[in-house]
Amino acid sequence: MTAPTASPARRHVPRLRAATLTYRVLVRQVITPGRLAALGALGALMILVGWLVGITAEDGGRSAAGLLRDGAGYADGFGLIIIVPIVALVFGSSVLGETREDGTLVYLWLRPMDRGPVVVGAAAAAATAALPLTVVPTALGGWLAADRVAGSADLLWGAVAAAALGTAAYSSLFVLVGLLLKKPIMWGLGYVLLWEGLAVGLGDFAARLSLRGYTRSVLSHLGGIDYGFDPYTTTTALVVLAAVSVAGLILAAIRLNRLDVA
Amino acid sequence: MVQVNGVSKVFGDVVAVSDVTFSVRAGVTALLGPNGAGKSTLFRVMCGLTPPTQGTVRVLGVDARRDRTVRGRIGLVPQQDGLFDRLSALQFVSFAAATEAVAGPEPAARRALEIVDLDADDSRPVSGFSKGMRQRVKLAAALVHDPEVLILDEPLTGLDPVQRRRMIELFHGLGDEGRCVLVSSHVLEEVARLGSRILLIAQGRLAATGDYRELRELMDDRPHRIRIAVDRPRQFAAALVESGTAVGVSVGRDSLVVDTRDVDRLGREVAPLAQRLDTRLSRVAPLDEDLESVFRYLVEKR
Repeated sequence: MTAPTASPARRHVPRLRAATLTYRVLVRQVITPGRLAALGALGALMILVGWLVGITAEDGGRSAAGLLRDGAGYADGFGLIIIVPIVALVFGSSVLGETREDGTLVYLWLRPMDRGPVVVGAAAAAATAALPLTVVPTALGGWLAADRVAGSADLLWGAVAAAALGTAAYSSLFVLVGLLLKKPIMWGLGYVLLWEGLAVGLGDFAARLSLRGYTRSVLSHLGGIDYGFDPYTTTTALVVLAAVSVAGLILAAIRLNRLDVA
Repeated sequence: MVQVNGVSKVFGDVVAVSDVTFSVRAGVTALLGPNGAGKSTLFRVMCGLTPPTQGTVRVLGVDARRDRTVRGRIGLVPQQDGLFDRLSALQFVSFAAATEAVAGPEPAARRALEIVDLDADDSRPVSGFSKGMRQRVKLAAALVHDPEVLILDEPLTGLDPVQRRRMIELFHGLGDEGRCVLVSSHVLEEVARLGSRILLIAQGRLAATGDYRELRELMDDRPHRIRIAVDRPRQFAAALVESGTAVGVSVGRDSLVVDTRDVDRLGREVAPLAQRLDTRLSRVAPLDEDLESVFRYLVEKR
């Protein structure tokens, strides 16, 4: 039995390498059969209901503009308000939060790696797991609910962009929540249902502090149709969603650096 | 290589570590203490995983909480059983090597797994491993980057006797190479086999330090408490006090509890005394042989 051979005394993992290593290990940890089944079922429900809405609307003789508005409303109401934040919550809060709970965080923390790349890798892992489960049902459900009328392709792409940007912003936010709080799912659900679900109706200022209005604006503008619920310009919506994503990552890196690791 | 100066760690109302000061040089040092004594907290503070409430810790001259580069020179086996469960042993240890910036992570991981007697080509995820195998995976991950300081929190837990012996040999080998190897345990026999410098911690305080033999003698000097079941306990107690073997006695209905400083002498005297007094001796049992009582004695003595 011999010890490993001698190596340099001081080491540091380059940032890109640190982010990639973190991403690779956490993406495998965070995607579990149970989560895939539960969240996949939620997405499948949205697609099924969207299809039924589309068929019903066709029989009701709705106009093309009305169908597009219905489809966009459905993508917003089910996809952007329920599926996107909940899926992002499950993966975002658990990607580092679970490592903190089960003691594996030490294998990322006690390493010569900067905190920023670790958080970026973790958020990327959460977003990778979440994106297919948010984008596909939101876009497909909205498109089917619009009964695939002329112009619904734009709706499809608008929903893809809104769901993807929303997933990135929420994932980043919930990575931070997973490092800040115990039982992050419970707190996150409270935030999603009470704040994101109800705050928009409390007035303009409250609406500005929820992500929902920004994802909704992306859906409206990039969808290329006036859906009647687009409070912000495309630029404002994109900047705010990007800013939330970046701010969440920075705060999570600061929190990770100061964390008591078990 | 490791210096701990006046370190205390408080969690809410609980004092986990209280004003501990010691330094550790190259070689094997055992941190001995019962469960809940503060060993893991002290290790966490030393690695920078949690800041001390008071005092300072220097590992290789720097504070591991502040100086990130020193972390690559520390190898830690944490007490927690958690591993990235979907990875195989080779993947896990390769990941550890890569995150320690080791050039050629996989060959290094293979060498480390060989050291701990694990098959690097076993493709099963570590979630299917036994406790002992998981423990050895953690050890391989701590060794893979060839650290100068090894902090091993109960590393022998779950290992069979042969593996324990091999790991203890490995620790001594690493110590002989000039590394600082700190091993915690709550099992006295385990520490006896580590057979080196000992830091004895109890109730968050450093109760004693020194060579194992010195400590063993100190432990053996303490009063022992023995319960003796006889049919005439009062006469038996009087005889023991008269002979000077007992320093204290309490008598019950069909037994007596004896405090003695010379447990070997008591052992030699009990059976002949029962024969001389014509009493029926049914049971002799120590009441305080557990490690906690040894620690308690040492702490109170200080």
